Amino acid sequence: MKLNERSVAHYATCNSPPDKTGFLFKKGERNTAYHRRWFILKGNMLFYFEERESREPIGVIVLEGCTVELCESESEEFAFAVKFDCAKAKVYKMAAENQAAMESWVKALSRASFDYMRLVVKELERQLEEVQEEARSSQAKSKPKKHQLQPQGAASFQPATISLQNATITGPLQEGVSSRENGVSWSKPLSVPNGVSDTQEDCSERGDGVRPPPVPPRRKTNGGSLESPVSPGTGCFSKLHD
Amino acid sequence: MRFNEKELVFLSRQPPERAAELGMRGPKKGDVVKRRLVKLIVNFLFYFRTDEDEPIGALLLEQCRVEREDDQVFSIVFLDEAERKYLFECDSQEQCVEWIDAVVKASYEFMRKNLIYYRTEIHRLTGKDPLEQYGISDETRFQVNSGLPPPPT
Repeated sequence: MKLNERSVAHYATCNSPPDKTGFLFKKGERNTAYHRRWFILKGNMLFYFEERESREPIGVIVLEGCTVELCESESEEFAFAVKFDCAKAKVYKMAAENQAAMESWVKALSRASFDYMRLVVKELERQLEEVQEEARSSQAKSKPKKHQLQPQGAASFQPATISLQNATITGPLQEGVSSRENGVSWSKPLSVPNGVSDTQEDCSERGDGVRPPPVPPRRKTNGGSLESPVSPGTGCFSKLHD
Repeated sequence: MRFNEKELVFLSRQPPERAAELGMRGPKKGDVVKRRLVKLIVNFLFYFRTDEDEPIGALLLEQCRVEREDDQVFSIVFLDEAERKYLFECDSQEQCVEWIDAVVKASYEFMRKNLIYYRTEIHRLTGKDPLEQYGISDETRFQVNSGLPPPPT
């Protein structure tokens, strides 16, 4: 399968801020020894370079749909693995230089997926709407609040995963140009990606409120493993941080 | 550059944000328009021959620009090689507008910008950082002035 490799490699080294960088030992794919590589995490892409100064990555691991697990290694302490759900999938074994680095990388990689980011954005979008709604309406709502801001680890938090109908908010960046770079123009939130979206663009003020979404099924997590949901709507927001 | 192709093919089978048969033309001189099944999944655009299950290829939609070329045509250009255009011919103006919108929003970087906006606004209106209770307020990708790479750990 083809990939726009040149541009992908460019993404690794361009001036958009990386989410995490550092040295890790990576188990070779042919030669099974561990090699020290320089890693750059950007979004859901984990690039690895021969040296920190290398201009081109040796390779990239697309992290969408992966799970990250701690693992036992005969030769390496602080080892962890990036695994995928598909048949005959590769297992990428890596090892950090110390406990803190390992934990930091495991955390970063398990939350690197596009879907996770989307959940966080939707959650904040929902919170902002709530705050704006409360600021607008001077009367107390008769319905009890269904979305309490809970401390970490408390009762399940419902992420906004339903399709937002008639949902239009004045976006953060609005420019009336017909050509759009990523992030230049925004007017409407994404709807849940199960099937084709057919939403309309509109930059007007928000209309009626959004119905609270049904509680998504709880994801099972094994000890030490944080799943990165492939399909959204199945991840519970606060559970992702357990 | 190596990449995990099997996993990417697996990704191409997930429920798409958007999918349609479009006329697609590659960026090389001499490339002609071909009918392709185009699927938008997370920040990837996969394209298939209309009767095949395996994608011919994938485009990572980061650091790219989407432009309206014509009533029913849009292009995707990657910032590192701006002279190479991928063209997509839609069946209607409406479809064209919808695809442009979807592709623009399909980047991680775009979501990051939105998130920073929401975070800043909520903080401005409530005095509280909405990310703090989830223990993710320190992550680099959520920082407002994130322009420098973080120190290696």
